[in-house]
Amino acid sequence: MTNTNTQIATAIGLDVGTSRIVTARRKDKDIQFAKQLNAFVTIPFSKLTQGVLKKERIPHLVQDSEIIVYGDESERFANLFHKETRRPMLRGVLNKDETESPVLVRYLVTLLTGEDVGEGKKLCFSIPAAPVGASEEVNEHEAELKSMFGKLGYDARSISEGLAVVYGEMESSNYTGIGISCGGGLCNVCLAYLSVPVFSFSIPKGGDFIDSSVAELRGEPATRIRTIKEESFHFNGHFANKIYDSLAIFYEDMMQALVAALKDTFASVQNMPKLNRPIPLVLSGGSAMAPGFRDRFEKIMRDTELPVAISEVRLAPSPMHSTARGALVAALSDM
Amino acid sequence: MRLVEWRARSFSDPAQRLQFLQRRLGPFPDSRRSSWRALTRMPILTTLGLALAGIGLIPASRRALGLALPFVLASAPATPKVQMTPPSIARSAAAPSLPHVWQVEANHQFDLYSNGLRIENRFQTSTERRTYLAFPRAHSETHSGERRTQPAGIVFHTTESHLAPFEEGQNRMLKREGEGLLEYVSRNHSYHFVIDRFGRVFRIVGEADYANHAGNSIWADQTWIYINLNQSFFGVAFEARSQPKEGELPVNAAQVHAARTLTEMLRARYGVAADNCVTHAQVSVYPAGRSAGYHTDWAANLPFEELGLTNNYLQPLPSVTLFGFSATALLEEARDSPLAKGLEAAQDQVRAEARVQNVSEHRYRQLLQIRYKDTITALHAKGALQENN
Repeated sequence: MTNTNTQIATAIGLDVGTSRIVTARRKDKDIQFAKQLNAFVTIPFSKLTQGVLKKERIPHLVQDSEIIVYGDESERFANLFHKETRRPMLRGVLNKDETESPVLVRYLVTLLTGEDVGEGKKLCFSIPAAPVGASEEVNEHEAELKSMFGKLGYDARSISEGLAVVYGEMESSNYTGIGISCGGGLCNVCLAYLSVPVFSFSIPKGGDFIDSSVAELRGEPATRIRTIKEESFHFNGHFANKIYDSLAIFYEDMMQALVAALKDTFASVQNMPKLNRPIPLVLSGGSAMAPGFRDRFEKIMRDTELPVAISEVRLAPSPMHSTARGALVAALSDM
Repeated sequence: MRLVEWRARSFSDPAQRLQFLQRRLGPFPDSRRSSWRALTRMPILTTLGLALAGIGLIPASRRALGLALPFVLASAPATPKVQMTPPSIARSAAAPSLPHVWQVEANHQFDLYSNGLRIENRFQTSTERRTYLAFPRAHSETHSGERRTQPAGIVFHTTESHLAPFEEGQNRMLKREGEGLLEYVSRNHSYHFVIDRFGRVFRIVGEADYANHAGNSIWADQTWIYINLNQSFFGVAFEARSQPKEGELPVNAAQVHAARTLTEMLRARYGVAADNCVTHAQVSVYPAGRSAGYHTDWAANLPFEELGLTNNYLQPLPSVTLFGFSATALLEEARDSPLAKGLEAAQDQVRAEARVQNVSEHRYRQLLQIRYKDTITALHAKGALQENN
């Protein structure tokens, strides 16, 4: 009897972050990533502008008397029109103040996947762990995204962002360790033992918190602070520049809050697995990319007494991709 | 847990490693809740189980860790007594439950079932009553086998017959080809059921009899090993040819629907486990060459889920893990398919077990192959080989 060729199994890992949306897909033995800013800007509608956007293939949609430019291009247009970009998401969940946020997230995902229909592909998308007292928001966010991806034709399921980091970066320890994603809206944490989550939580401090806090303190636009932070800030212990100084203070605040929450969570968890060896901790996400962040975080960790021994504090090789990679691993493992 | 960890490390692919851990420790966790609490008793149980299994008292605990029970080669005096621990088949994460289906009407022309299944009887023939030996995984080389008359599973086939274009203008040709095929398979007692291109189900051999559908073949579930499945498994064939084009189903929607209702009925009436519903490519072996995948129908693309089953392509092949057959050729044919994952997982398991036994992979395979030879010899000795064929 003859042999058959086979349908190539496909799956997508999706990091739906406050500041960026990242997709991961396997191609042969490699994983390919694509990302877009999870942001948009509105500009007044004119046929001429719309024609130019179409010609230049700039992602946009027309809404009443406005054109919404979304994704990476939104930043360029925001600078061009002296506007701030707006966010479809806030603190890890869909932004209720922006009525078009689900539509924009859908457009961004379609832009990244290049597909209008999912054709039943497995899709695993990240959601934040609920901050204390905000579980309802996360539930609604998850349900809305799941419904949206289902309508696009995907076989979609969610994964906690911290757990996705574990799946993305801790293969070598059999998915045992602490995964931390320092994102734009939140920091997500998960301790997993042999792939099984022991606890997950998030704190409402991330890149946006740092930007807005420094902006308020220094009387500068948050966009400018973010640019400085991403382009030239680094931890070196001495800051002549006041903005750098302020950035260091709020970074420190975020890290201290993170480690304190970690300690509190360890104290409150019942039935902790008996870990017979020190476990690794991996840092990921855009807010962990500042040079010196890992060293500073490790120092704070060392100064804090935790009930488990940490074998290493490691920065993910590609921190922006960790969550999407882990979501992809989860989706593939589910096939 | 240490064994689980150790075995997990043999998977180089991160998704397969995660899949292995999840199969051993539990399903994909809820995205927000800690799943650890549900598992907190497991280390105690597995530790206790391991300790007892070490002295051979609690076989189930080893199975829970994905290890079949050890066996010692009994009938090969020249062979070193290596205690071998071939792994069990990884079970599907969520095997669908058995549907409830009952017979509504039965006469010479057709049988009707409560799920809409209608089986045409005009090509029905008979052979002999089903009887076969099933071997417990735990002691297959020393156990004489348990005699059974109840079917254990289903093997799905394609007829690989000539197919006219499935078009309205071809009705006469489609019917003629279908009738010719049914007469042929009826004469040769080739399958228990054939699903023709219009989605009609024909009974070829009565359900209580064996059919000549699987030939040299091997399958195993958590507890039992089945050798040569003509007697132990139903043969269900689609009038179809294996589809060489990637992702294209070789069957139409009517055939898939019919197969679903037929599968439901067989599972409901005979208690067939979802994990024992497999394809001919998964079970077929070429004993002389010690290779798996002699026949390759449904090496890919069987829509397991649409038949109400779990995707069994991902299961490691028992012919490889239990009897050391080579899957190289089949792997080549099935590359990039779900079956390739099952094959690779099987080969990974063999390598891992060889390391556990501290012998080379080649030597371990040889020992497994001797186990197959011994099992066949045992079947001969009991005069059961013919039965099992």
